[in-house]
Amino acid sequence: MNGLIIICGLGLLAMISEIFKFRSVLFPLVLTGLLAALALNVWEWNNPMHISYFENMIGFDRSALAFSTVILAIALLWFVLAQDYFKSGQHLVDHYALVLFALAGALMLTGCKNMTTLFLGIETLSIPMYVLAASKKNDLKSNEAGFKYLIMGSFASGFLLFGIALVYGATASFDFEEIKAYIAVFQGELPGFFYVGVIFILIAMAFKIAVAPFHFWAPDVYEGSPVLITGLMSTVVKTAAFAAFMRLFMMCFSNVSELWVTLLAVIVALSLAVSNFTAVMQTNTKRMLAYSSISHAAFMLMIIMSDKGETASVNSLIYYSLAYSLASLSAFAVIYLVSKNGSEDITELNGLHKRNRLLTITLTIALLSLAGIPVTAGFFAKYFVLSQIPSDTLLWLTILAIISSTIAAFYYLKIVGSMFFADSYTKEPIVVQKSHAFVLIVCVVLLLLFGMVPGLITELALY
Amino acid sequence: MLGYTITQWLFGILSFLAVMFALLVVFSKNPVHSVLYLVLTFFCIAGHYLLMNAQFLAIVHIAVYAGAIMVLFLFVIMLLNLNEQHEPRRTSVSRIIGVIVAGLFLMVLVGVLKGTEQLQLTNTANAEAGLIKNLGQVLFNEFLFPFEIVSILLLAALVGAIMLGKKEVKENVNENRI
Amino acid sequence: MINGVSIDFYLVLSAVLFTIGAVGVFVRRNTIILFMCIELMLSAVSLLMIAFSTLHNDTSGQVFVFFTMAVAAAEVAVGLAILSMIYRNSKSIDSDTLSNLKN
Repeated sequence: MNGLIIICGLGLLAMISEIFKFRSVLFPLVLTGLLAALALNVWEWNNPMHISYFENMIGFDRSALAFSTVILAIALLWFVLAQDYFKSGQHLVDHYALVLFALAGALMLTGCKNMTTLFLGIETLSIPMYVLAASKKNDLKSNEAGFKYLIMGSFASGFLLFGIALVYGATASFDFEEIKAYIAVFQGELPGFFYVGVIFILIAMAFKIAVAPFHFWAPDVYEGSPVLITGLMSTVVKTAAFAAFMRLFMMCFSNVSELWVTLLAVIVALSLAVSNFTAVMQTNTKRMLAYSSISHAAFMLMIIMSDKGETASVNSLIYYSLAYSLASLSAFAVIYLVSKNGSEDITELNGLHKRNRLLTITLTIALLSLAGIPVTAGFFAKYFVLSQIPSDTLLWLTILAIISSTIAAFYYLKIVGSMFFADSYTKEPIVVQKSHAFVLIVCVVLLLLFGMVPGLITELALY
Repeated sequence: MLGYTITQWLFGILSFLAVMFALLVVFSKNPVHSVLYLVLTFFCIAGHYLLMNAQFLAIVHIAVYAGAIMVLFLFVIMLLNLNEQHEPRRTSVSRIIGVIVAGLFLMVLVGVLKGTEQLQLTNTANAEAGLIKNLGQVLFNEFLFPFEIVSILLLAALVGAIMLGKKEVKENVNENRI
Repeated sequence: MINGVSIDFYLVLSAVLFTIGAVGVFVRRNTIILFMCIELMLSAVSLLMIAFSTLHNDTSGQVFVFFTMAVAAAEVAVGLAILSMIYRNSKSIDSDTLSNLKN
């Protein structure tokens, strides 16, 4: 909770800094604020005082704290990375404020305990992201990305609201716990439109996390947005959306799981099939990573389907989102640094190791982690998922997941190969600032550390 | 009249008008006409609110939707001079998606037809639930936190809209001003 | 029953309005009308929410509609800002001009 308050305060501070002319110290202020929020999160973890606040609207139990710590840590790394990106534009203060408000929405989603906070959290996260996606004002591609994101986002909000209205009509409550209790009491005699409502909410959330067949906006939006904003979308936004997804379906609708588990199985199978076969054909690095993010989202959905108990699933979801966010953030960081003076085409990465060693090593580790090769964190992330799928009923899904990871490994390794062995058209070295190098090294070290000692995350006592 | 009460008659008339105007919004060629039909749809929906004793929300609905949002639409249409637009027909892909959406609609109707009789109603009727006093009490007690968050949301939208809407100033002019 | 009208009718009415809006999003190419269709969807949901709120005699449903309105206003403001920016760059708001991001 303290983290959320600090982030909201920082957003307001960023806006005031324009008036009172302390723009130049804004960056250190934001970093300090984020560090303070992280420290307070750890403190709250050790001293659980209040679990829920404001009439049970929002509650930071340990799983919520873990998710918000992941989000804050990734955001901290992102801010260090984005420092010069902010400086280059004209609307420095607005960008800071928008990113911080989006972050506030993300933190709200990790702790939501009520349909109202879920809906408002999603919107507080999305609306600044629409603006940021369109923030290259003279670039029609960026405008188009923002527009598509907005249309699809508000369309999905419509479905979400319709679902919430139907669930409210059946249970007369917005509170997750009350809805759960109601379902437990009246199971089997709920009105038909309640189930329709659950399906609508599922569709809306599938839109937001971009899984097939509701994924078609994601590659376009990822390609059109500025690289760093795409990085933010695939890390912070994804983690927050999954935290909310987990709270909603594993906690609130857990008693009607036979309804949504089947639907999720179809969604997962479609996403795995569509994303990996399409990713192989991409020529734009960001589009490729967009399809890769769809397949990772499918893996994360498999965790939500698991029946091995809540604690194990939440632990592996946190581990997966941390591993994916770190790998994805470092991949986007490398693309950002490479594409500063070039294009975002995959061929731009050819012969990268002759131009900069650090970038090559970072991207190699990140792609290996995304592919799920051992020693990196991605391996255990996928291993936990596959060990948690109920093997008797969903064996076909496990087999499909393994086949699609193999295909995925092929296109990740193709890029790694071209970085080392292909010829580039230029041998001009890429200079990397110290702050950027710091972020890249931290990401690589963490990816390897969590890959070797997964117990650091998976043995956290969540309850 | 024909065995129906006045409320039932009003419900029928308002529903028919709302659906008709909504169809006109989607299918009229001129965006300005669409805006006007949408305003009429909103008035019909506000009429429904009045029938359900939600007086305050009926007023707010007209003030916010018809008074603010639709004026914003009109403003943009006039500003960009988009009165007449000829648009080509959509391809088959979007028609298929349209069919899917209509299928979802069918799903809702099936859900509706089996089960509303199973609803468990606990509270007794209270005609004053929609008055400002009751709404305010719920809004500022139970829903205080969402109320605060909405302020953050509106602030973010405000900053975003201004940032995008503002014309780019040349770099050096900007530097001088700051 | 709400004042003599069954809740079924409200469900059907709001489902019809919602579908008209949703179909409109897919069949129209004029982006301004597209936004209006989304507004239509959102207010159809508000109608349903208030019907349920009156049925259950629970004020929280009506309060939720307040938040829906605030969000709808915020989305429209941002959306129209993006539209006017697109118009400035391309002199058209037809969704056909918005196809630079396709392979």
